[in-house]
Amino acid sequence: MCDKLLPYAWLIPVFPFVSFIMLLAFRHRLQAYSSYIGSALTGLSLVAAIVVWVTGWSVQSVQHTGVWLAFESVELQMGTWITPLNLVMLNIVAFISVCVHIYSHTYMKDERRRSTYFAWLGLFTAAMLGLCLSPNLLQFYMCWELVGLGSFLLIGFHFEEDKAKAAAKKAFIMTRIGDIGLLAGLILLYWQTGSLQFTDIYTVISSGELEAFHVTLISLLIFAGAVGKSGQLPLHTWLPDAMEGPTPVSALIHAATMVAAGVYLVAVLHPLFMASDTALTVVAVTGGVTATVAAVIAIAQTDIKRILAYSTISQLGYMMLALGSAALAAGVFHLMTHAFFKALLFLTAGVVIHHFKTRNIHQMGHAFSELRFTGMTFLIGTLAISGFPLFSGFFSKEAVLSAVWHDERYLLFSLALLTTFLTAFYMFRLFFIVFMGQGKPTSGPKKALSMALRLPIAALSVPAIGAGFLYTPWFSAFGNWITQWQTAQIDPGHEVPWWMMPSAIMCSLAGIMLAWVMYQKLRVPLRELPYLHAFTLRGFYMDELYHYTIKQPLQFMSTTTVYIEKFVVETVMESSSSFVKWVGKYGARLQSGQVQTYGAVGFVGLSILVFILFWTGGYF
Amino acid sequence: MDIGTLLSYPWEIMMPEFIILIAATGLSLTDLFLPSRVNRRIFGWISAAAVLAALISLLTQAGSEPAQILHNTYRLDSFSISFKALLLFGTLLVLLISTSYLARSDVEEQGEWYYLFLAALLGAMMMASSADLITLFVGLELLAIASYILTGIRKKSAESNEAAMKYAINGGIATAVTLFGFSYLYGLSGSTNLGDISREISALSADHGHALTVAAFIITFVGLSFKLATVPFHMWAPDIYQGSPLPVMAFLSVVSKTAGFIILFRVMLSIFPTVQGFQPDESLYQSVMIFVSIAAGLTMIIGNILALRQNNIKRLFAYSSIAHAGYLLVPFVAFSQMMFESTWFYLLAYVFMNLGALAVLHIIISENQSAHISGFAGLYQRSPVLTVCMTIFLLSLAGIPGTAGFMGKLHIFIGALFADPSRYVLVSVMLVTTVVSYIYYFSIMLHMYMRPPKRYTKITWPIGATLTIALCVAGTLLLGIFPGAALQFLQEYFWFNDMFTLN
Repeated sequence: MCDKLLPYAWLIPVFPFVSFIMLLAFRHRLQAYSSYIGSALTGLSLVAAIVVWVTGWSVQSVQHTGVWLAFESVELQMGTWITPLNLVMLNIVAFISVCVHIYSHTYMKDERRRSTYFAWLGLFTAAMLGLCLSPNLLQFYMCWELVGLGSFLLIGFHFEEDKAKAAAKKAFIMTRIGDIGLLAGLILLYWQTGSLQFTDIYTVISSGELEAFHVTLISLLIFAGAVGKSGQLPLHTWLPDAMEGPTPVSALIHAATMVAAGVYLVAVLHPLFMASDTALTVVAVTGGVTATVAAVIAIAQTDIKRILAYSTISQLGYMMLALGSAALAAGVFHLMTHAFFKALLFLTAGVVIHHFKTRNIHQMGHAFSELRFTGMTFLIGTLAISGFPLFSGFFSKEAVLSAVWHDERYLLFSLALLTTFLTAFYMFRLFFIVFMGQGKPTSGPKKALSMALRLPIAALSVPAIGAGFLYTPWFSAFGNWITQWQTAQIDPGHEVPWWMMPSAIMCSLAGIMLAWVMYQKLRVPLRELPYLHAFTLRGFYMDELYHYTIKQPLQFMSTTTVYIEKFVVETVMESSSSFVKWVGKYGARLQSGQVQTYGAVGFVGLSILVFILFWTGGYF
Repeated sequence: MDIGTLLSYPWEIMMPEFIILIAATGLSLTDLFLPSRVNRRIFGWISAAAVLAALISLLTQAGSEPAQILHNTYRLDSFSISFKALLLFGTLLVLLISTSYLARSDVEEQGEWYYLFLAALLGAMMMASSADLITLFVGLELLAIASYILTGIRKKSAESNEAAMKYAINGGIATAVTLFGFSYLYGLSGSTNLGDISREISALSADHGHALTVAAFIITFVGLSFKLATVPFHMWAPDIYQGSPLPVMAFLSVVSKTAGFIILFRVMLSIFPTVQGFQPDESLYQSVMIFVSIAAGLTMIIGNILALRQNNIKRLFAYSSIAHAGYLLVPFVAFSQMMFESTWFYLLAYVFMNLGALAVLHIIISENQSAHISGFAGLYQRSPVLTVCMTIFLLSLAGIPGTAGFMGKLHIFIGALFADPSRYVLVSVMLVTTVVSYIYYFSIMLHMYMRPPKRYTKITWPIGATLTIALCVAGTLLLGIFPGAALQFLQEYFWFNDMFTLN
């Protein structure tokens, strides 16, 4: 069965690509049908992905490639590659893309350029699926760039707004900085191994022919690309700004799929990283620090989408931390659960934003009574990301934590534990303010959510709750399945010390409690409940206490990190770009329009060349 | 030489040149006798047809054995056929743009316009086929002088006159330098035939005239760098491109540049690879390549960085064309098996993407009567199709995957990395400057997609420019997606090493 169907796996990215071409070519004529076409074709590719998954379940690694270009002795190939890791990615991407397409049917209903929007979505989906199927780094790199292009176009979709334009540019340029590293790493890798085929690279690495120095250098360069794409420190600043794009786009690209491409890159080249301790340490430390710093920043934000964006950065940090701790399965597992619950959070946040017509959480409140369905599903997402017991995020975070513990990086472990607390805190702060907080009930007439909005949200809630049971301390088949094909090693599983689970639960519950006390309990105004005077008075002290012991230090940390970002990170960026501008400015001044100057430059150039030549040639 | 010898030559190998010569002569005579009130528009289509006929007759020669006529001064080999095809094709597209351009311009001498282009093309083709310094130089000057006149052909425009003046002066300086270099070659070998020169110079012992050989190389290279618009003779390009009529700019930046690479390859590769270098185990070519690579690196850096600050779109493309000349020097430096292939492929890609972009530019400039970058504002609202075409060209110029430009750059990268020794420093310069180039190419896209248009009038599509754009879009995409097809054609019909079998 599988040898009959798997050669057709290339069809998976073709469907959304057809949608892209159709919608772009007949933009005006298909305006009204664009959402149907986009959803149907992406749906087909989900069906194809599921079929490949079911038939290729037992497959370890199957390639179907053809020669695309041949140089002297070099053959470049294009094709598909099916492995357990790819299957997971393919199905996540196709599933979430379908959800987002359907959701956008209602969400983008009043948009004038609907078909362009769906065309870009199709382009992005096709490129992302192509990326997951790539059997070699060249095809991977091409899709990687196309994915970036899709993201650029969609962030800047509302290009009449200056902020959206700036954000699109920033996202593109910032990720390009990482991409230079990736490209350099790719070239070096080719130079060293003579092939860009993933399977060949595995062979070369396992044979141990590569010098340790080269392995480290290459993996660090490649990691730079992953840092840019996955919004890790210090190249993370584009991701919060990217929230200027439409909300479904944020759910698809900037939460579930594209930003996870960096994690996928590290995962698919995991044997390379495993061969260098330095590289692993860099990955782990970057991930750990990013997770914590982003979580701290998230606390101080007031824009609902930016909170979610920082939380994405923080969760991606978790994945990197897991991969850096030599735990492929844990990293990929967290990638999967995160994709579900974060897409869920974004889609529900879209409904909330639509309802309140603002993204500032302090102008929201009381949403739970008005948006019962949205409130419930948002709560599911919040519980999942906070690591509330038995929700999906609980198990994946558990897996990450135990991997870090096993790797004996105790400092990073405590950072990860702290992040669990912070995550629960800021997510529930968001939840309490938006859904339970005071606020004027909105005046508009109540409208029931349309099916097109409910369906994807409901569909995402299910795995957000249940996906965690795929990989638990007492059931590790997933772990073996995802790791075994790559290195023929059995996943160590995550046997945890007895205190691990309770302490993780404690951290997460403590975060929830703190958020509850600070944002739910204490905001109760005195005059409405005079009989609780004593309590509120005490509460007053507590408020002060929180203010000085927790909020201020946190805010201080938060501000510090913001300033570090603003002054250190951005200064480096700014100075390199202004240097280029400076050269441009003074170089242009030399271009005076005087023929004499031009002739003189020619002569001086010639004389210098002749002089150096004779000098080095030893004729003087 | 008696008449018998003259008749015995296989003249058919000069067929494409004859077609161009006859067309140019015929048109100039007709122009002389045709009353001035008669519109010369038909001349454009006649000359385009002549170029097309020459191109076809050239393609029938593909795969033939190398041959030389006229006392070994004129040579037909794989190198000359394949590169002449680029010249002819590029000129064809330029002529198509010209028909649209002249319909709306103040150029009075429309007849001269066309036969000057043909004369310039003839010069370039002679350069491709020369095996002798004299014919090479005659070809070079034929191209150059026709170009000077074309630059200044808008007689009433001060800008155009200034450009022509500057071009002639700078061109004169460069020609003097080139000739100075040639004189060393002649002095060392006593011959003007490239094969003889190569033989004689190789026979010189190291302590005997070695320094002069090196001087000959470097002076000739610097002189030729004028045609390529590379460091140190790059500064003329922006002023002259800006001042000259757009089709002339297109001709200078594509056809004339190609001709520059042709003469560079022909002279340098025919003569120097067999001469001993500074070290006993390397050739002179290898010893001095470090200087050419410095020039290439500087060219890429200067072209790309200065392009960042341009608001005049013609100047922007001038700097961009300097940068591309820098990329094109990389395979010349690398001197690998893939050198010819990489250069040819990149030049072909460059013909498509640059001429396509310039055809769009022509439409925009004639709509706005100004070459300011703001002319692109809101183009997407006014003409989505034109915008998409321009986007494809810009993506290709920037080297984004899926386009011809990317494949060309990739080919150059791989060639340079696999060369011996590997030129990774130059490749990294190329990578970094390519990234810099995104900024100015994408700024045009920013204008097209994200700025509001000044007015909403419909954009008209003149037929010649439309044809060019259509051909170029097709070429850019096809070469980007199926590069194997063009390379296979090249490998099947051309065997570049026959360049070195001079007799």
